[in-house]
Amino acid sequence: MAENSGILVNCEVTGGRLAPIATELLGAGSRLAPELGQELSAILIGSDISGLAQETIAYGAKKVYVVDEPSLKDYSTESFLMVMEKVVQQAHPAIILLGQTSSGRDLGPWLAFRLNTGATMDCMALAIDPATKRLLMTRPVYGGNAQAVQVCGTDPQIAAVRIKAMAPSAKDDTLQGQVINVEAGIDSASLKTKVLERKIEATAGIKLEDARVVVAGGRGIGSASGFQQLEEIAGLLHGAVGATRTPCDAKWISNSQQIGITGKIVSPDLYIAVALSGASQHVSGFFSSRVIVAINKDPEANIFKVAHYGIVADWKTALPAFTAKLKEVV
Amino acid sequence: MKNIIVCMKQVLDPEIPLSLFHIDTEARQAIQPKAMPPVLSPFDENALEAALEIKDIQESNVTVISLGKKLTKAVVSSALAAGADRLVILQDEAFGEFNTYLTANAIATAIKKLGQYDLILCGLQAADTNTGQVGTGIASILGIPCITAALKVELDNDKVRVEKALPDGYEVIEAPTPVVVTTTYEVGALREPGVEAFMSAAKKPITTWNARDLGIETGNTGRFTMIKMDAPAHESKCEILEGSSSEEKAVKLVTKLKEIKVI
Amino acid sequence: MSPVAANYLGIPGYVVFWFLFAIALGFFIQRLYLLIRLLKLGRPENRSDRLFYRFTSMLAITLTQWCSLKSVNHKDLAGIGHAFMFWGLILFVINYLIFIGLGAGIGLFTILSSSAFETVFFSILDVAALLVILAMIWVIIKRYFIKPERLKRKESIGEKIIQPLLITVIVSLMALHYCIEGFGYAAYGIPDSWPFIGVSFAHFLNGSGISQDGLATVYRSLWWLNYIILLGALVYAPRSKHLHPLFSFSNIVFKNLAPKGSLRPIDLQKPETFRISEVNDFTWKELLDLYACTWCGMCHTVCPAQLSGKPLSPRELILSLKEHLLETGPDLLKDKTVTVPAVADEKADAEPDSALAKTSKALIGDIISEDGIWACTTCLACQEVCPSHNEQMVKIIDLRRHLQLGALTEIAREPLKNLRVRGHPWRGSMYARTDWAEGLGIKIVEQDRDVDILYWVGCTGALEDRSLKVTQAVAKLMKQAGVNFGILGEEEMCCGDPARRLGAEHLFQMVAMNNIQLFSSYCIKKIVTACPHCFNTLKNEYPRLGGQFEVIHHSQFIADLFKRNTLKINQARETVVTYHDSCYLGRYNDIYKPPRQVLKSIPGVRLVEMEQNRKNCFCCGGGGGRMWLEENTGQRISEMRLSQAIDTRAQVMATACPFCLQMFEDAAKTREGEESLKIRDIAELIVEALEIPRDLADKA
Repeated sequence: MAENSGILVNCEVTGGRLAPIATELLGAGSRLAPELGQELSAILIGSDISGLAQETIAYGAKKVYVVDEPSLKDYSTESFLMVMEKVVQQAHPAIILLGQTSSGRDLGPWLAFRLNTGATMDCMALAIDPATKRLLMTRPVYGGNAQAVQVCGTDPQIAAVRIKAMAPSAKDDTLQGQVINVEAGIDSASLKTKVLERKIEATAGIKLEDARVVVAGGRGIGSASGFQQLEEIAGLLHGAVGATRTPCDAKWISNSQQIGITGKIVSPDLYIAVALSGASQHVSGFFSSRVIVAINKDPEANIFKVAHYGIVADWKTALPAFTAKLKEVV
Repeated sequence: MKNIIVCMKQVLDPEIPLSLFHIDTEARQAIQPKAMPPVLSPFDENALEAALEIKDIQESNVTVISLGKKLTKAVVSSALAAGADRLVILQDEAFGEFNTYLTANAIATAIKKLGQYDLILCGLQAADTNTGQVGTGIASILGIPCITAALKVELDNDKVRVEKALPDGYEVIEAPTPVVVTTTYEVGALREPGVEAFMSAAKKPITTWNARDLGIETGNTGRFTMIKMDAPAHESKCEILEGSSSEEKAVKLVTKLKEIKVI
Repeated sequence: MSPVAANYLGIPGYVVFWFLFAIALGFFIQRLYLLIRLLKLGRPENRSDRLFYRFTSMLAITLTQWCSLKSVNHKDLAGIGHAFMFWGLILFVINYLIFIGLGAGIGLFTILSSSAFETVFFSILDVAALLVILAMIWVIIKRYFIKPERLKRKESIGEKIIQPLLITVIVSLMALHYCIEGFGYAAYGIPDSWPFIGVSFAHFLNGSGISQDGLATVYRSLWWLNYIILLGALVYAPRSKHLHPLFSFSNIVFKNLAPKGSLRPIDLQKPETFRISEVNDFTWKELLDLYACTWCGMCHTVCPAQLSGKPLSPRELILSLKEHLLETGPDLLKDKTVTVPAVADEKADAEPDSALAKTSKALIGDIISEDGIWACTTCLACQEVCPSHNEQMVKIIDLRRHLQLGALTEIAREPLKNLRVRGHPWRGSMYARTDWAEGLGIKIVEQDRDVDILYWVGCTGALEDRSLKVTQAVAKLMKQAGVNFGILGEEEMCCGDPARRLGAEHLFQMVAMNNIQLFSSYCIKKIVTACPHCFNTLKNEYPRLGGQFEVIHHSQFIADLFKRNTLKINQARETVVTYHDSCYLGRYNDIYKPPRQVLKSIPGVRLVEMEQNRKNCFCCGGGGGRMWLEENTGQRISEMRLSQAIDTRAQVMATACPFCLQMFEDAAKTREGEESLKIRDIAELIVEALEIPRDLADKA
């Protein structure tokens, strides 16, 4: 059996394009592969995606495994797992990188158990141990209160990486690479799960994960109408609105806007935290933001330990003034 | 009669005040303070609620399995008070918090030992390790499908229908039993036992097994090693902008943000 | 002479007298027996302790009419009217017993008539009758012209006719008294001067030209008319909707002798004893309350839930339950196994022909809504003001206990679950129980048992932002005064008050037993606390679970420190302060003076009282577990009280309770801009006045 070598990146495709996480993982891979003296390759699974192979190479992949089939248009555990296993058999990588995304969180553990190895989820940082040449994976534990560094002793080492944790590689169209088309070969009769329907909620505006500015509200907002003020500010700054768990539970805002360890992880340039206390489960969802600003009437609130700038004020009186001044300067 | 298994993990209280949270860097785990008793992992409580809601409408037997080094009876038996019929405790020095493979293997073995099962429910991820792998692991070992991130779970004859969360919506997936399903909090908050339910827990059976009873290997498989763990220090380097009124402070804030070129 | 001496249609008067009496008495007893049987349907409750005290206490309360007079205030003087009516009617009852019962019935008529005793007694009656008539006129003006709020309610036909009927009967009886006097004296001999009105009337009749025989006939007719009206009243009384004249006395005999507002512990091994499916699941004493209600409506007008627009009225609860008991009682007597649903939903789903469907009302849903049950703040205003000593709040808590039997209701689930899991109801608190004590050098009992007194901090005092400052203030005062005290620190668990008041009895007993065990193991005898809820629970509810301790409220403790000159403030601070009485300190425990003494120990403080203070203080809205519930209907109770405080033009509103403090701070925040009224605990004011640094325990 050939020894495991190389880094294989699972490049997710969304809306017919390479997802940002894919470029971030390729960025990480291109920095790690030379340290191992090994090759960076990628896998593209989807439908009508062969055109993206070249772009994947432009982001640093030396080999791109393309599995292009109509039935693979949307993620589905069983078929994607079968395909991944097939490619892994072919590529026998030492490291597999996935995104900590809806599909990555599903696929990572499956791969680990199928391949009799371990997966490390929600990694914030990756490094190669110079002595052992094993992948050092840093991830949050205890709801974000602590950080752990883990190592996997078996191959392939699987890591699911947080979005926006890694810098994407620069696109270089001059790069060359090999495209390997792989037959999916899925026996549909063997599939046990069946998708009956798919319902997509129309997400108006900018997606939270992609937003450069996020305005988030907490329990203190008190109502759905309160969030409208945050919407206004987000609009002025071309950003998105998020919330802690309480407003989502209370149905003041949609669940898909929840930020935190059980919601979305965001890393915008500017994160404005309004009327939220800053509990760690929420903080771990945005602590990597470049600038964190807090507006809270309680000077002892935890958010002030996390923020870079803050004002102790009741949002009800502060926000209108904030918005007015914003209109002047923006 | 449907047999539903719910896996519930006893964890360090995720809502622990920071002044009580300390990491033992030697042992590479959090120190369980006496002042703050452990709790059942929140997503696992949602999983139990999903099981109980199925039990509300059809004859079912709900067994809760809880695995750990040393479990607190008051904590895990609250599952019985909530409405589960039976509790199986898997307790062993080897059952550490972070060993995904061992956990999944032990639970899968226990499930096989119990016999019949139609549906296995787990929480999306444990509140201490935050990995979300054990559900899948159990399914892989038992050779059955696993549907993760369920918003809703329905059991109908020999089929399970799940609404699975997608980044921008959901999809409805159907699979034949037996199946593992991991649940988000949207399946519902766990009902809190009232007087009758609370007192009835004492009469329900509790079984305890260790690794030897299960006949499993607990040695290091090499799949995972914890190299380091620490709690990042909290520095209060926040610049508080002062003013004589909320409005004045807000204006100063905007000016500052413009100054540092973030808007 | 004696009207019963004559023969009527050949039948001796005595026979007629006793025959009519027997019939009337028979009807009376028959109905009374049914009413008592309905009471016996209720669950058992032991109220037979200290019977001598109970009885004499009842006499003291009713004969002095303290029950009615205690609620008299400048806005509502009805109590005085009732007192006069009562005294007058009692005299008449004695009159009837002696002069009709003994006089006519047993033949002592001749001895009694024209005796000195009669002269004196009838003179008193003349005045009494006048007062009663005036009282009746007052009733008419009040009910039909002034129409006060507390009397406004939707009444059935049966209920509507009682008042006019009662007034008519009473006025008639008073009038008949004068007439019988007048005609009697005119016919048989007029005494000198007294009884004044009777004699004057007799003189008038004499001059009217009616023959002696005529006068005698009228006299006898009126006498029999009087007798028949009395017998009619006897028959009607237990059948009327207005049962309080018959039952208030016994209700006061069996009143609550345990500490005010304290609740029965329930045997958790028998959860079915919590169930209130039907009205007879209440105890017999709770059912007796229903009969004893006087319809005065006082409870209705003092209830903060009612006044702020919540669907709860203690008066309506009592009266609807009474109607329900009278309606369903007879069926329940026949077939005790008929179980009727407690919740309206079950009734809606019931089979059309089942007993379930046939009940006219379900207890929870029709008679009182679930919202109404949860709206109660347990302020005890209703029980304090009730002339019949009814226990409205206790019934509401019993209904809550019923609702919390299977799974806890969603309304209070989070704080109660948190109490079970983390030992306190403040979910989301970022603090550990000892965070407030950082840097203050406070003894923790687990490490150092040598303490004279335990400072019981309470959950709110340790875990809620605003209240931490109060806890620190109390600790600083105790240190300043050199008190050797300690705290339980992380071992402290909720006193259990929210669990008990929200009906989660299992959680209350769980934490209470834990705390009692802790106190015993540390040999704690004396406890001081700044929270009236903890104070009340530790002092009044724990004894019935086996925990007896000396519990002191911080207002009492601090007042004592000043009295013994251990603390002294020299610098004057010119401040106008108004003090808000906490329900659990005031009405529950009658502690009104110590907090005021504490405030007056600050030189320069001018104390102004809100209109509603002491016994009739207005609740902050936080009791009864409501501190953790959403207030979505009507006005905020805390805002109503805050307005009352602002109306006094005080600069500071002082409280002695962390719930009140929290409620008012929150209410003040919703008042845009008006930050003029400062809200402080009395301990904070003392610390400020003593100028002890406030910020010793700044968290880094």
